[in-house]
Amino acid sequence: MNFAQAVFLTAFGVVTVAIVAAVWVIVRSARRMDGGAYPSLSKLWRLGRRPAERGEMNRWAFYAHRVSGLAILAFLCLHVLDVSVYAFSPTVFDQVHRLYATVPMRLFECGLLLALLFHALNGLRVVAIDLWDLGGAAASRLLNGVVGATVVLTIAGSVVILRPVIG
Amino acid sequence: MVQALQRDTPPAQSRLARRAPYITIRVTGVLLAVLALGHFALTHVVNDVAATSSSFIARRWGSATWVVWDGLLLAAALLHAGAGLLAVVRDYRTRPRNRRHWLAGLGALVFTIFVIGMVVLVYSALGAHR
Repeated sequence: MNFAQAVFLTAFGVVTVAIVAAVWVIVRSARRMDGGAYPSLSKLWRLGRRPAERGEMNRWAFYAHRVSGLAILAFLCLHVLDVSVYAFSPTVFDQVHRLYATVPMRLFECGLLLALLFHALNGLRVVAIDLWDLGGAAASRLLNGVVGATVVLTIAGSVVILRPVIG
Repeated sequence: MVQALQRDTPPAQSRLARRAPYITIRVTGVLLAVLALGHFALTHVVNDVAATSSSFIARRWGSATWVVWDGLLLAAALLHAGAGLLAVVRDYRTRPRNRRHWLAGLGALVFTIFVIGMVVLVYSALGAHR
């Protein structure tokens, strides 16, 4: 590992700490403002209720939206800085960029894809709710679609991203 | 309690000032759903991430379409992030002084990243044509 790669990994560590700190603030304040029970396996059974009775799922979507948004922003800052190395020296950029093709970074990219997909699809859902004045039941059904599409597309994308390293 | 509520109440704002972040988040958000997912698909699905090296960037920024795409992506993402951070800071930082400090700090961060990104994009795009 050379100096540029060490700098990148240090910056990546800072990004990770920023994401964990953001999640900490969000979860702690959610406990204070919304309260409620901790997530548990028995909650799974409550997913079978009719859409209109699952209003609290919108709240979970709100927190997932906020966490994914802050995580994407933290990575975007790092990404702009690492691409800016290209303007100074394409050679040094290639050394840093080689890290992106390693297994841990590829796993991180799958996580990034999950965050991007959920944030994009749920964001479009929020726009749809505002534009067409959708009610709670429609919002819940749309959320099912958002989560389903996110899971399917993340798995499909992860297979493509990880294929070169699983062989 | 009453004091806490009063402290939480934002100062009087014009209708435009109240609506600007809301509109910004939604307009840039719809744009980003295409630009950001397209960018990720191009660099991780269509091309393997190992192939997006400096020669890939040189080729891509030789085309005006991709320079405009990346410029729009950067501007939309940071406008979206700035408006989103405004809501996040207002939720979690309630004391006015504290709130101002956080907004100034995060605003400076977002603006700095925007300037660095735009300078690098324009400088590299001009270099690619040489």
